[in-house]
Amino acid sequence: MSLKTSIAAAALALTAAPALAAEGERVQITGEIIDTWCYFSGVMGGPEAVVGSAHHTCALWCSAGGIPVGLLGDDGEVYMVLKINGDDQSASGDTQLTLASHEIVADGMLYKRDGLNYLVVEAVVEDRGITNLNHEDFGVVPGFAIPKPKK
Amino acid sequence: MKKFIAALAILATPLATSVAAQDFSEGSTAKSWNLYAEVPATFEAEVVDILCTVAGDCANQCSEGRQLGLLRSADNVLVFPNKNSQSSFNGAAYDLHPYCGKMVDVDGLLIEDEDIQGATNIYLVQKIKEAGAADWAKANKWTKVWAAKHPEAKGKGPWFRRDPRVNAIIADTGHLGQGLSPEEAYEITR
Repeated sequence: MSLKTSIAAAALALTAAPALAAEGERVQITGEIIDTWCYFSGVMGGPEAVVGSAHHTCALWCSAGGIPVGLLGDDGEVYMVLKINGDDQSASGDTQLTLASHEIVADGMLYKRDGLNYLVVEAVVEDRGITNLNHEDFGVVPGFAIPKPKK
Repeated sequence: MKKFIAALAILATPLATSVAAQDFSEGSTAKSWNLYAEVPATFEAEVVDILCTVAGDCANQCSEGRQLGLLRSADNVLVFPNKNSQSSFNGAAYDLHPYCGKMVDVDGLLIEDEDIQGATNIYLVQKIKEAGAADWAKANKWTKVWAAKHPEAKGKGPWFRRDPRVNAIIADTGHLGQGLSPEEAYEITR
């Protein structure tokens, strides 16, 4: 292959690569199912406050409302969940809703594109329930998530 | 070989720079949400089924309930619309669903936050139209979609206080997921 040909091929690869489906990688990730909008946008405070028990009710609302859920891995990366246990209803689906705020061990395929991680969870190997009891530090986020009891 | 590497570097540098430096704020009329890392952004894109586009799982592409993305025409970047224009915990998939497979123009807020790991190419859609069309549609359809699906939950207050699935989970394990009653959960979080 001539130098010109090599450069042309490299240029084509550089420009065409984003258009192709990414190649998947088999992974097993431990982390918490979170609502990604509150986490990424900071709309309700810092990342440590919009996870766990403090944010559980909001995580339920967001998941039911079709906001994408992610798996916040122990490595600090967020993995956008596209499918879980065969359920492709990633916008307001039942499976992801029941796992809101839970720490899980997920086995599946990881895809990366344009700075985001995408995860197809083939099996929830372990569901540890809600383990991040950060309401002890942050109360409830947002504050109106728990209605004031009527006297 | 050195020449080859140098040529690759020359090729790659302008590409990376142009992608990183893209500014989509010109012409945007997006309203601020006062978010730390928001940037107004309007651009043309194809509405795509993300599961199909990134993982090749295309059998049910564009069917209702799957997350949809915006494949931006200018740079082929896949933008993930996490949010529609409503303020009540609603995503954007149901607003984008009628346009799946079509070219559209969108206007909204991009989130690019270097301080939060992975916070890139996240988008809040405020309005949408087919590419080149004159009239915009507000990305605010989700609550109507929800109401049509849950006629039994009709009543006062926002949808999220009346959602049967959410309320069943809260009734089972509480607002904090710890089995506390609403009164107990309220007291320990004050």
